[in-house]
Amino acid sequence: CTKDFEEINTDPNNPVSISPSLLLPNAIQVVVDRYWGHSTRYQRLNIDAAMCWIQHLSRNIYINAEGDSYEIPLTISSGTWNSIYNESLINFERVKSLTAAGAEYENANYLGIAMTMQSFSFAYLTDVFGPIPYSESLKGTAEEAINSPAYDSMEEVYAGILADLMEANDLLSTSGPAVVGDILFNGDIMKWKRFTNSLALRMANRQAAKKPAESSAIMTQILSDPVKYPIIENNAQAAELTHFDVIGSRNKMFDVFSTRSDWNISTTLINKLLELDDERITVYAQPLDDGTYAGLPNGLTDAAAGTFNASRIGLKYLDPTAPSVLMTYAEVEFIKAEAALDGDIEGDASAFLESAIKASFHQQGLTMPSDYMSRIGGVTKESIMTQKWIALFGQGVEAWNEYRRTGYPVMSAPHPSSVFSNEGVLPTRIEYPTSEYSLNKTNLDEGVSKLGGSDNMRTPLWWVE
Amino acid sequence: VLALPISAQGQNLTQFAKGPTFNVKSENKNLESTLKELEDLYAISIAYPTSIVDPYTKIPAAINSKLTAEENLQRILKGSQINFRKGAGDFYMLESSQTQAPIAPANNFSYQIPTATVQNIERTIKGVVLDDDQVPIPGASILIKGTMNGTVTDIDGKFSLTLTDETEDPILMVSFIGFTTQEITVGSTSMFTIELASSDLALNEVVVTAFGLERDKKALGYSTQSVDGSALTESRPSNVANSLSGRVAGVQVTGNSMPGSGAHVVIRGSSSVAGNNQPLVVVDGVPLEQTSSRQYGNGLSEISPDNIKEMTILKGATAAALYGSRAANGVIMVTTKNGAGSKGIGIEFNSNMTMDNPLVKPNFQNTYGGGSGYRTWYVDGRNGFDADGIRGTAGVDESWGAPMDGSLVPLWYSAPERVPLLPQPNNWEDFWETGQSVTNTIALSGGNDQGSFRVAIGRLDQTSIMADNDYYRNNFKLNTSYKFVPKLQMSVNAEYIKSGSDNRGFTGSQDFIWAHRHTDYTKLKNWEDYYDIQRQTFRPGDDYPYANWQHEYFSNPFFNQKYLPSSNEKDRLVGSIALNYDINEHFSIMARSGTDYWSDTRININSAESFKNNVKRFGSYTESVLNSQETNSDVILTFDKDLFPRLSLKIQAGANNRVNNYKSTSVNVGQLTIDGLYNLGNYASPVTPSSTIRKQVVNSVFGSAQFGFNNYLFLDVTGRNDWSSTLPTNNNSFFYPSVALSAVLTDIFNVQSDILSFAKIRGSIAQVGNDADPYLLNQVYSSEGLWAGTTPTYAESNEIANRTLKPEITTGKEVGLDLRFFEGRAGIDFTYYHQSTVNQILAVSISTASGYSSQILNAGEITNQGIELTINATPINTASGFSWYSAFNFARNRNKVVELAEGLENYILATQNSLTSEARVGQPYGTLYGRRYERSPEGEIIYNNGLPVLESGTHILGNIQPDWIGGWSNSFAYKGLELNMLIDMKMGGDIFDVGTGLARKTGQYAETAIGREEGVIGQGVKNIGTSEEPVYVPNDVIASAGTFWNSQNPRTYHESGIFDGTYVKLRELSVGYVFPKNFLGNKFIQTMKLSFVGRNLAMLYKNHPHMDPEVDDKGGNGQGFSYGEMPSTRNLGFNLHVTF
Repeated sequence: CTKDFEEINTDPNNPVSISPSLLLPNAIQVVVDRYWGHSTRYQRLNIDAAMCWIQHLSRNIYINAEGDSYEIPLTISSGTWNSIYNESLINFERVKSLTAAGAEYENANYLGIAMTMQSFSFAYLTDVFGPIPYSESLKGTAEEAINSPAYDSMEEVYAGILADLMEANDLLSTSGPAVVGDILFNGDIMKWKRFTNSLALRMANRQAAKKPAESSAIMTQILSDPVKYPIIENNAQAAELTHFDVIGSRNKMFDVFSTRSDWNISTTLINKLLELDDERITVYAQPLDDGTYAGLPNGLTDAAAGTFNASRIGLKYLDPTAPSVLMTYAEVEFIKAEAALDGDIEGDASAFLESAIKASFHQQGLTMPSDYMSRIGGVTKESIMTQKWIALFGQGVEAWNEYRRTGYPVMSAPHPSSVFSNEGVLPTRIEYPTSEYSLNKTNLDEGVSKLGGSDNMRTPLWWVE
Repeated sequence: VLALPISAQGQNLTQFAKGPTFNVKSENKNLESTLKELEDLYAISIAYPTSIVDPYTKIPAAINSKLTAEENLQRILKGSQINFRKGAGDFYMLESSQTQAPIAPANNFSYQIPTATVQNIERTIKGVVLDDDQVPIPGASILIKGTMNGTVTDIDGKFSLTLTDETEDPILMVSFIGFTTQEITVGSTSMFTIELASSDLALNEVVVTAFGLERDKKALGYSTQSVDGSALTESRPSNVANSLSGRVAGVQVTGNSMPGSGAHVVIRGSSSVAGNNQPLVVVDGVPLEQTSSRQYGNGLSEISPDNIKEMTILKGATAAALYGSRAANGVIMVTTKNGAGSKGIGIEFNSNMTMDNPLVKPNFQNTYGGGSGYRTWYVDGRNGFDADGIRGTAGVDESWGAPMDGSLVPLWYSAPERVPLLPQPNNWEDFWETGQSVTNTIALSGGNDQGSFRVAIGRLDQTSIMADNDYYRNNFKLNTSYKFVPKLQMSVNAEYIKSGSDNRGFTGSQDFIWAHRHTDYTKLKNWEDYYDIQRQTFRPGDDYPYANWQHEYFSNPFFNQKYLPSSNEKDRLVGSIALNYDINEHFSIMARSGTDYWSDTRININSAESFKNNVKRFGSYTESVLNSQETNSDVILTFDKDLFPRLSLKIQAGANNRVNNYKSTSVNVGQLTIDGLYNLGNYASPVTPSSTIRKQVVNSVFGSAQFGFNNYLFLDVTGRNDWSSTLPTNNNSFFYPSVALSAVLTDIFNVQSDILSFAKIRGSIAQVGNDADPYLLNQVYSSEGLWAGTTPTYAESNEIANRTLKPEITTGKEVGLDLRFFEGRAGIDFTYYHQSTVNQILAVSISTASGYSSQILNAGEITNQGIELTINATPINTASGFSWYSAFNFARNRNKVVELAEGLENYILATQNSLTSEARVGQPYGTLYGRRYERSPEGEIIYNNGLPVLESGTHILGNIQPDWIGGWSNSFAYKGLELNMLIDMKMGGDIFDVGTGLARKTGQYAETAIGREEGVIGQGVKNIGTSEEPVYVPNDVIASAGTFWNSQNPRTYHESGIFDGTYVKLRELSVGYVFPKNFLGNKFIQTMKLSFVGRNLAMLYKNHPHMDPEVDDKGGNGQGFSYGEMPSTRNLGFNLHVTF
């Protein structure tokens, strides 16, 4: 009487085996979403925390509880962490195991794409948390299953990522097998190679102060062999996810900003753009009724914020089909400028910087004024990083990473009506999710010791210069 | 010796009548002892003249307990010269068929003492004995106290008794089984109308146990408790589960006030970490689904209380071993009314109507209006600027605004015109409607020797305290049984329920959490009157379909209720067909198939078309169809025989096949082309369909044996083996046994005491195995929908499957003591139990860095142990007819998570704003972990810059489980008047009430009005030393009230959202009047009772400052959370019960 039990207990709702083309799209979408926008309230790391902290945006309500005053809901940590590990990384891991040499769907291009996207995702996590489970992570269903993975130091994570990116570039081949389900580059393997190598430049440059020789070698290796190591060379090659005006596939900033008006452009950004007479202000911000632009200081009390009339976010970011940007041509050029200035690579920092600024204007549909370079006051670390900060509008986490690493741009003194928590310190990282305390305590404690400070938002990360 | 002894157990008179009768030889019993056995077995009284019952008469057949009392009597008296007649109630009278005497006229039907010893007849007294419903009691005994002079009442309850002059000041002792004995001084009266009060304290209670088997309660080795149907119908909640609260020891019920909503029921604490902890509900032998949602109700919330004869709670695992796995949490057995025993056609009509209002009003502040920064200024429903460049506060959903002192400001219904800003202290009352429930049920029943039927039709109409929130339910109930041939009986029991609602949805008290205190909800209800004015203020690019106090985050709740409803229509059929066949006098067989099928169509309208920021939001809706069916088919063979005179044996063996099928299909239309047309074809972008299918089969064989020794020592042994489709094929068979022992000490030691009337000890040990949910064995991938409407996407499940699952095993032990005193006028029932569940099948949380969030494991052990105590007494029962019955129950459960899986310390039951309710090793189930304030060594909260500081990490903040629960019920009766009350108590247990914490943060409550101008100083200390060497002095830093309360925002400061869940409620109060028969004045109406009823009348005690802490935001195992539930309601009304 039990012979058909196995058939009865076969899940009619969900498949038990799958092809990589079905796993890739959602895994990409989730991490891009977490990086650029994300629409779930109390989990919006980029919009509510990073973009406010980096003073691109400011909040006009709920200022003291949702990020702008340096106090964030705990779910910003847990939501980001859980989503990237459980929805992106594990599915990239599955794509890797399905397409590795000898596996059912053997395909080096899928493998390379999954490795690049995993690197991007791990980089995102380590740059906001610090030490993270890396080498032992994603092994919940492995042969030797690990439920409580150990933490690796940032240095180890960076080393692993850079090695993976190099390997991914080797695996990715324009003459290799086709990939389906690639929502980022629609199967264009050359674009994947460009993104992979540009990402390696970003990572190498970020750790350059800590590991100058290795970083310089990697950057030089990439930049000296454009055939083997193609990088992003124009705005059309940028790594960005194209959105569609269909529920669930829209630009997440549109989803957030079109339904709530809790944000304005920060005074810091508005003032900088006004000071430079920078036309990008017309893209980043909406003018007031009188045609002028005004910012809102960060960290005000709700009551104080009520007295300001400030510009809102530019309409470009309210377009449901606006892209989610992962890496731009401008950023690559900024990296070159900084690396050249620091002496990590050969080349003219000034030329790279001008190219970077031009690319940024072009990216926004504008042309850089011919005298613009004269407005920025010389080619210094500060001017490079300040311009990079302006160009990274929207990529709040990236801008925050760069600010924490270099200390630029120099932020103006807080408004007298501002009330900041976190001892007034602009957050240096976010805290580990509480679930790690209850589920992975031993390893977490080890991770905190690798962090080199307390698990709070004031401990500086490894790559701080 | 009386000439006409009446055998009625427990009655004084029988002691005179009965000599020792155990003079039976061999296996043949004599008639007299067999009649006695019948009395015991069926709790009936059989009266007969001694002359016709010869002690040496042999009887042709043994008693077969599968048959009715009448059938047995027929068998026993077959071939004899004795006939029997059935009296009212459970009374039977034997008479010789040779005596042609017809039923004597009532006024001279008397059995007299033979005249030989009587000298002088002084006078004859007459009378009638009635029960509390004014129905005559035949067979009641009348005895002159201190003499042997007595008689019994006739079939009309009348008696006539001749007094001799020997007795001075004679006193009548009037008694009948099931009623309290009365003493009446005769004096000079010669006509008596004696009303006996029924006693619930009868020593021989019959309870219904597994498989509907009626057993003498004294034979049970485990704890059960019954609730009579009449207790469920008067002060009724529409969900009958709620009426168990406070009534049954150890049963914890958490209800809520939405119409048609479900309730969470737990017996003896939660034993399963992740599984269903609710008891199995069985209606007339058919399991009823009891797991579905809180909002849409579940099995118990749909059946009609008017059809319930009795609910029996089988508490431990023992009681339920025969029902299989799901009975590990106890069983609620519902026995519905049938027509058996009724003579001719009876009609019963019940009408009930109640009005509902919120029970507890939060303590609001009425000083400051909505807005922020002491400003209240409506501009455009958002934080826009008016023509003068003044920024509005309309978009703020808090109440830190201007003092409501009559200053002129623009408000939502006037802007840009200015009107006085005035307090609205009654806007809570204005917001809620008066809810109403009306139930009418009419039932027709009848029966004869061959069969019986009862058919009932009921209708419930319920409207909520929330506007446009309602529920209806039609119950059609049919119970029939028919005997085709003497040995074959078929019965059909079925209830068809059609229920539904125009709108199940509600917007709860969110409107009093994120709100403007100055909002006049009467105006908001009538927003159409102000829509044209408000449209003028809409920001360019905005267009909302309604007027509201703001347009940033909240919609007009009354618009939502009316135009965005969640309707449903549900059909449910619960029923069974059973065939009983008596193979011979010892063997019988039953075959039965029962099903619980329902289909529910739900339409949720999610949004209406609107524009904001030039962005069009489309109308959208979801249509879902849910189908569920559980079918149980059983065959049960029963063997029943007295092996030896002192040893009885009853064996049951059977097999069961259970099939569960579930399918839900849902289609979401995210963009309607034409707003307001809710049809799946009316879509403007691809619709999102989804479906879920679940199927499960369990086959079982089981057996039970009950040994009875001398009718005072009982042993029950059961065993069951299940084969479940949800477990790995090599591990899908599991066996679980039970054994229970019961000893009636008063019978064993033949205790004859005026004080102790009955004493029983019982003990049992039982195991219950449990299978898994379907489809946990294989790792799967789930659909994540389409990217860009074209690219299919999937993701790996976050739960790690397990191919080697084993069944989980619950072992329960209990011992109990049942004592009755003073002929049952007082009693104590005490139980201690210990229950342990091991190998629990649960999805254990793991570090998400593993790539997965949980892993299915056989893990862990949870123990529950506790005591249950019920005390009942009838302290007053006077001759004048006044009686007071009182019952108290108490239950205390201690629960501990002994272990989880290797290396795993906790399991998260529910989470809210990162606070977790956990099963953590070494802690009780449902321990709340979250962030708390940092405290000095003296326990004072530490402040920094006037604001409290959080300690790092998470800490234990409380536990959802109560310290103890209990109930105290009292019934007072005088003549036809009765008063019943029930006090329900839950002591301790914590809730995480985000709503109250947020309403403080948003400045709604009275405490937040303090210090708004001058600031507040938090009570605690501040550190004037260093962080290494702290020096604490009292905090004296002034913080602004808004900042201060923000630092008690429970979303971050979890501790500030923890409240004590204690409550003591006057759960029920009813005053009823049974109209006397002569008042009714005709034969058409048999009985009539009118009651004024109330539920949840008063909160007698609570520690929560603002609301009723009986809340359930999440349902299921996620108990102890609250965020804007609909407030609990006080219900007042009446109940009319008439029988014809």
